[in-house]
Amino acid sequence: MKSNELYPPYIHSWKTSAKSTWICSGTLAPLVLWSAYLYGYKTLFVWLVSVLTSMGTEAIVSAFTKKWTLGDGSAVLSGLLLAAIMPPAIPLYIPCLSAAFAILVVKAAFGGLGSNWMNPALAGAAFAYVNWPKAMHEFVLPRVITGVDGISASSPLSFIRSLSGGADLRIMEALKSASYPLSGFDIKVTQFLNDGFFSALGSQLPEGYIDLGLGFKPGALGESALVVIIIGSVFLLSLKLIKSIIPLTMLTVFSVLVRLFGTGLPGEYLFSGDVLFALFNGGVLFAAFYMAPEPVTSPSGKLDNFVYGLILGVLCYVFRRWAAKPEGAVYAILIMNVLGPSLEKMLDSIRKAISQHRQAKR
Amino acid sequence: MKIRGFKHGGIDSMHRVSFEAKSIENAFLPLNALISLRNGPGLAEAEAVVKLGDQVLEGQLLARSTGANSSNMHSSIPGIVRRITQIKDAGSFDSLAIKISLDGSFSVLGKRPERYRWKALNKGDIGYLAQDKGVVRVSTGEPLYPALSKMSVKQEYTLILNVLELDPYSRVEESLFRLRTMDVLDGCAIAARISKPSRIIIAIDERYSAKTLSKIREAIDSCELDAKLQLFKHKIPQDHPRQLALALGINKDDIFIVEPSSLISLHEAIVSNKPHIEQYVFVGGGAIKHPAVLKARIGSPIGDLIEECGGFTSKPYTIVLNNPFTGRAAPDLDCAVGKTTRAILALTESEAKPAPERPCIRCSDCYEVCPAGLKPFLLHKLIQLGKIGEAKAIGLDRCISCGACAYICSSRIALVSIFDTAKKADKDRGQN
Repeated sequence: MKSNELYPPYIHSWKTSAKSTWICSGTLAPLVLWSAYLYGYKTLFVWLVSVLTSMGTEAIVSAFTKKWTLGDGSAVLSGLLLAAIMPPAIPLYIPCLSAAFAILVVKAAFGGLGSNWMNPALAGAAFAYVNWPKAMHEFVLPRVITGVDGISASSPLSFIRSLSGGADLRIMEALKSASYPLSGFDIKVTQFLNDGFFSALGSQLPEGYIDLGLGFKPGALGESALVVIIIGSVFLLSLKLIKSIIPLTMLTVFSVLVRLFGTGLPGEYLFSGDVLFALFNGGVLFAAFYMAPEPVTSPSGKLDNFVYGLILGVLCYVFRRWAAKPEGAVYAILIMNVLGPSLEKMLDSIRKAISQHRQAKR
Repeated sequence: MKIRGFKHGGIDSMHRVSFEAKSIENAFLPLNALISLRNGPGLAEAEAVVKLGDQVLEGQLLARSTGANSSNMHSSIPGIVRRITQIKDAGSFDSLAIKISLDGSFSVLGKRPERYRWKALNKGDIGYLAQDKGVVRVSTGEPLYPALSKMSVKQEYTLILNVLELDPYSRVEESLFRLRTMDVLDGCAIAARISKPSRIIIAIDERYSAKTLSKIREAIDSCELDAKLQLFKHKIPQDHPRQLALALGINKDDIFIVEPSSLISLHEAIVSNKPHIEQYVFVGGGAIKHPAVLKARIGSPIGDLIEECGGFTSKPYTIVLNNPFTGRAAPDLDCAVGKTTRAILALTESEAKPAPERPCIRCSDCYEVCPAGLKPFLLHKLIQLGKIGEAKAIGLDRCISCGACAYICSSRIALVSIFDTAKKADKDRGQN
């Protein structure tokens, strides 16, 4: 059926898969600009290489299958998402090879859009993490802190993990006492907030959270500007472009677990984990809103999505607490991508059993 | 008052085009009327009783019913039988059709309508009149009387006067009920006389203004009919029999649904002794200059009616007969108004929002809106793989073809028509 004008219904919703993909890519544009502001214009090449490679790969595949699929925007989105996971100063061959792997092996080899069994961008990221672990964990300090580009440093999460002593200090204080660099902006804003707002409540905001929220820290391109990610995700949720249940459940479960048991960092005890620090690091928010609810690999149905989000939250927590590397969210989602269909089948059989039980009762 | 609605699925976020008919205009008589002898797919053809070249009067019998699935057809205009040919109806079913060219004088038009007192008639007389005048159920095209009379053997059943029109455009039932409330209620009383329902429910859209509602309530109170007004949620496909029964919490075999337009034609047949030769049609959609509800003769070409509404403002993308969700596309502007035509919608491209078909991305929006709780994306995949048995196991037969899934599908897969084709193929296989 080629033309849909001859078949009912004759009116359609405004949403098309291509439109949603392009809008989703559009919400990542501010992130691209912000990362260029933070780490210098050279980071634009990382985004560019990743997007162009995935588009090029898609075009080559299109030429072979004789189906022109660049218009659906999925290649561009995959490229953007992949670049978002890359560190700013990464050698450009890494995003290039990873993007080619993502499109060619994970997507095209299994039948193109709609048939991929893993999120292509995440699979590309995992490919990069496995092959170039050192390069993928080398971050640089933003220009706002140092005044120049390209001074390498470890991310706050790895830094604090390497700290051993000082168990009586909270994370932020521990970071400060170890003289982890802070931006002047953060110090000013925190002081302002403490004087004007938090002091009235009898509490105090430690320095450093503003930096984390705005991305004034060493980190991957996409996890840098949380404010931008949150605005983009609100936009996506309000247009119902992503399944809201998955990210919301995932983040809630993750936060609750972190609060209850802590992530094993200094100053965290039972019932007093640092939720903000956990959410602001390791790209959890970005993964939750842009990666986890990807339609092809996530299950359908409200209950299935809830269970999917729940397990994702637990896995994210487990990887954050006990895994050697901080990118646990990526692996958590990949694992759930693979387990998703089995989960759906299992829930289906449970539902069937329940309805049969009910009928038998009648 | 409690607003009823079905729980699972449905589309409720659709913008409704604003339109309120002030009056119902008579459309001009067509120069040629093409009268199809079959009212719908799956129904029987009436048997023609006129020959080529015959002079016919307005309202004269053209074809006689051959059984429960066909209805008497009358000439809608005075004239000469020009042609009796096989046509492909807009619903893509074949039918014999009689073409009449306007000629001679009018007998029905211009005459004051007669008013008979139907209350003295018994069920048999009413039934004879309704059958003789070719009254059909406008929603399906089957004759109204046999269907209604079948319900009368039931101990308990609910007659539902369905005034719900939930798509963004159609307004004919709403306008008829608002402008000719007394006639519709009178028609409802006749239907009740035939089938003896245990209760009568008038299904109304929750979005009616308080003013209109109180007017309707007054009208119901002033007549003897013991009918209850019930508001329903504005959610597609609430007007479907299954969803109405679900919302009311009763078995779908225990309801009979009838529309104001069917009741008006029943009323006119019994009270004014008029055959079913006129049809109330809403002409609208974004490409029509002055949308209106017209009283058109059966057999009028839809192009004439569109012209009467000021023609097109812009190039229409599709012209749809009836509901844009379950209706059908008109092949050209010459196709004729039939007994089941209630709306002619000329939709612009920005309303139709076509897009190239793309592979399913399992966004599961179709699952969210499916009122039967099916997984259309999974059904589609199974049908593509030829696994009809598995598709049936997960509920292909429960699909009510409401079109919600294909409306929402962001990959623009023609889900409903694929399901309909599969269901039909499966049925054919079962028969052989």
